[in-house]
Amino acid sequence: MQQCYLVDSANAPWKRSSTEGVTFACQVLLSGEDGGPEALRFRFDDCPSVYAHMHLTAQFQLLLNGAMDFPRGVKHLEALAIHYTDHNMPYGPFAVSAGHDMLVLHPKAGGIISMANLEARRQINLGGRLFAGLAADSERRPLPDADHGTFKFLMPPGFGPAAVIVNSPAHAALTMPAPEFGRYEVVLEGSAIIQGREIGPPGFRYVRSDEPVEPIVTGDAGASIAFLSFDKDALEGGITGEGLAAEAAEAMARAI
Amino acid sequence: MTEHKESAEPFRVVVFADFVCPYSFLAVDQIDRLAREYDVKPLWRPHWLHPETPPEGTPCARSPDKVERLRAWIKDMAPEHYERVRIPEKRQYSFHAFEALEFAYDRGLDSDFKTALYDLMWTEGRDIGDPETLLIAAERVGINPEELALALYQRTYAERTLAAVKQAHDIGITNTPTIFLGRTRINGWTYYEVLQSVMEQQGVHAREALACN
Repeated sequence: MQQCYLVDSANAPWKRSSTEGVTFACQVLLSGEDGGPEALRFRFDDCPSVYAHMHLTAQFQLLLNGAMDFPRGVKHLEALAIHYTDHNMPYGPFAVSAGHDMLVLHPKAGGIISMANLEARRQINLGGRLFAGLAADSERRPLPDADHGTFKFLMPPGFGPAAVIVNSPAHAALTMPAPEFGRYEVVLEGSAIIQGREIGPPGFRYVRSDEPVEPIVTGDAGASIAFLSFDKDALEGGITGEGLAAEAAEAMARAI
Repeated sequence: MTEHKESAEPFRVVVFADFVCPYSFLAVDQIDRLAREYDVKPLWRPHWLHPETPPEGTPCARSPDKVERLRAWIKDMAPEHYERVRIPEKRQYSFHAFEALEFAYDRGLDSDFKTALYDLMWTEGRDIGDPETLLIAAERVGINPEELALALYQRTYAERTLAAVKQAHDIGITNTPTIFLGRTRINGWTYYEVLQSVMEQQGVHAREALACN
């Protein structure tokens, strides 16, 4: 199975919307309607409490700007930061502030379901994983087998899903392992040449393949790129069209 | 008590908590409900979050922003408590309360005492570092307050309480509440429906369900 999607987020349309009284601007970058990945970009207006919810698929949230505060557990996230959850793993409520801007990245359509829903609480993934971390807390290291360039882990190696930021000078080909369960490759700074197109921040490629894929090449000014790789949890959950999944899909459709 | 179907031992429910933790307070109703519905006898053990706090307490570490976020969290997660909860203005000393809980345990009234004391702190704005608050809780649940006052004065339960605190540390408790339902450890507050799911997964069924079978 091979999937490849290229998204120029900077030129996607924005839409104002709200859910449960929480207001935001949103870009639908990948709809997931074709069975492929679902990617959204949200800019929440300052809000002391975005309601607790979960998605029916694994999720990376990449906080590009602003802050998210979780009163318990995860605590305080400031851009640049990562928040990962397995499918059916609830999180929140949380506060958003300071010019919030975030990519929400799923391997497939995951819907959204409020934890006020009692049936949803019975379908929580009891062994689910949650991770959150700030890029600033991670040490930058030299890129192996390269004259220039650095990388840092956003998630600890061995966690399962992986998140790494690579900084590289101009015209470097960034070869990565095969994205067996799907990988988002997000341009954070500079630009990247992907399949002949130059993509700026926060554009991205989503790839899934059993074989290594064509490497991203950094543009004239170099690039900082986040590689966010799912593991086997990406195969779980999803929108099945029944019960809670149907509710989750409807709720997401209403929200965006 | 409910017997776990895989053994003759009673199904163990143990909650490590600190009276000063709002999430522990929010777990009280849930665990009391679990005890009623599943016929289990939860054991509340101390996890002392802030041993550095002096007996008179310290100014609250929560900024107004943090208090607002905590209240918003409670409104979303436990709305039934939102109107009545009172966030303390100072960080309170909990060790004497743990001693009193041990005293109540020896009289078979630890569960009632714990609930009364959490209510006094979190809904009536009382300071649990003040022995008078402990005596009020005792009186409410039928414990002789004079006996408790003497035990606190003589530090009768101090050593046992310290051992309990050390036990929590030794088994790696890091947050409150930490709830053990049989073989399953749950770190932090969670939904009642999750507690139900964990019970059911281990073959423990609610009284009502058992009555229907």
